[in-house]
Amino acid sequence: MKYIQALLVVGLLAILFRLLIQPQRAQIKAEKLGLAIVFFAVGIVGVIMPDSLTAVAHRLGVGRGADLLLYLVTMATIFGFVSNSLRSREEQSHLITLSRKVALLEANADERNKDFLSRHKQ
Amino acid sequence: MNDVCFIIPVYNEAAVIAKVIEQLTTDFNWVICINDGSTDNSAGEIRKTRALLINHPTNLGQGAALQTGIDFALQNPAIKYFVTFDADGQHQLDDARSMLDYLKHNPVDIVLGSRFKGHAVKLGKVRRLILKLAVYYSNQTTGMKLTDAHNGLRVFNRRVAESLHISQPGMAHASEIIAKISRHGYRYAELPNTITYSAYTKRKGQPLINAINILYDLISQKVLER
Repeated sequence: MKYIQALLVVGLLAILFRLLIQPQRAQIKAEKLGLAIVFFAVGIVGVIMPDSLTAVAHRLGVGRGADLLLYLVTMATIFGFVSNSLRSREEQSHLITLSRKVALLEANADERNKDFLSRHKQ
Repeated sequence: MNDVCFIIPVYNEAAVIAKVIEQLTTDFNWVICINDGSTDNSAGEIRKTRALLINHPTNLGQGAALQTGIDFALQNPAIKYFVTFDADGQHQLDDARSMLDYLKHNPVDIVLGSRFKGHAVKLGKVRRLILKLAVYYSNQTTGMKLTDAHNGLRVFNRRVAESLHISQPGMAHASEIIAKISRHGYRYAELPNTITYSAYTKRKGQPLINAINILYDLISQKVLER
């Protein structure tokens, strides 16, 4: 085994380990965890047997295993970016709703606004 | 007049807001200002007047500010008419009065203002073109026949106020409101307006590149709503 293979396998296992040992607060959903484990398994196999990656690449019509990996990583990055973008928008929306609620609560408690609000107490 | 309220989103208008408010409070009891996280003394200036003040904890956007104002105003069941009005002095009280009058005496739910039916004083060529493109796009996607799709002066009744639910926090709210008029079948009318572009409003006004941002916001909303 070459040094780089050992390094990569150790690295992948370390990240996987970190994912599996989850503090209660940051629970990752089962499906996502399952997917991650599959991903890491494939990764480790690809590192230990680099020829397997080349074989798959040839099957798909790609020249080198490294090229296939590049394509996959690029797609995963773009997907991740879009995913994050949408999630970010949703979080922003929640934040705005929360902020507006706070603003209203403060305004309702403000003495200055008393006259306007007391109307509904007929 | 106790059944009318003005809703004014305010962002860094300390220089002019007191004057804008004072022309309104002479005849109208309820002027509601939403300080959208201003970094100048807008809040202080508003407090000097008779207007009511709501403070957003941070800058959330004009759409969010309008919705906050509407939510606040709806808490008073006596309010029948809602007027959205800009804080920078672009709008004329007389136009608001005519639109209010029209709403009270005609079978409509919302009255929109149009600077192209009225006067757009000192409106730059590029801005005029972008606004015309915006209204063309708006008419195409909503099936309505408006001449101005991005005017902050609107007058509407309680029925509209209760169902508006503006979700676009930023400037795309204007297009969202129009889309909702079409979707909910509100009866609408468009009246002429005079919009004055002073050196002040031109300096503070939206950068034209915002048109692209607004388009992006609208498309994202459509994608997320699916």
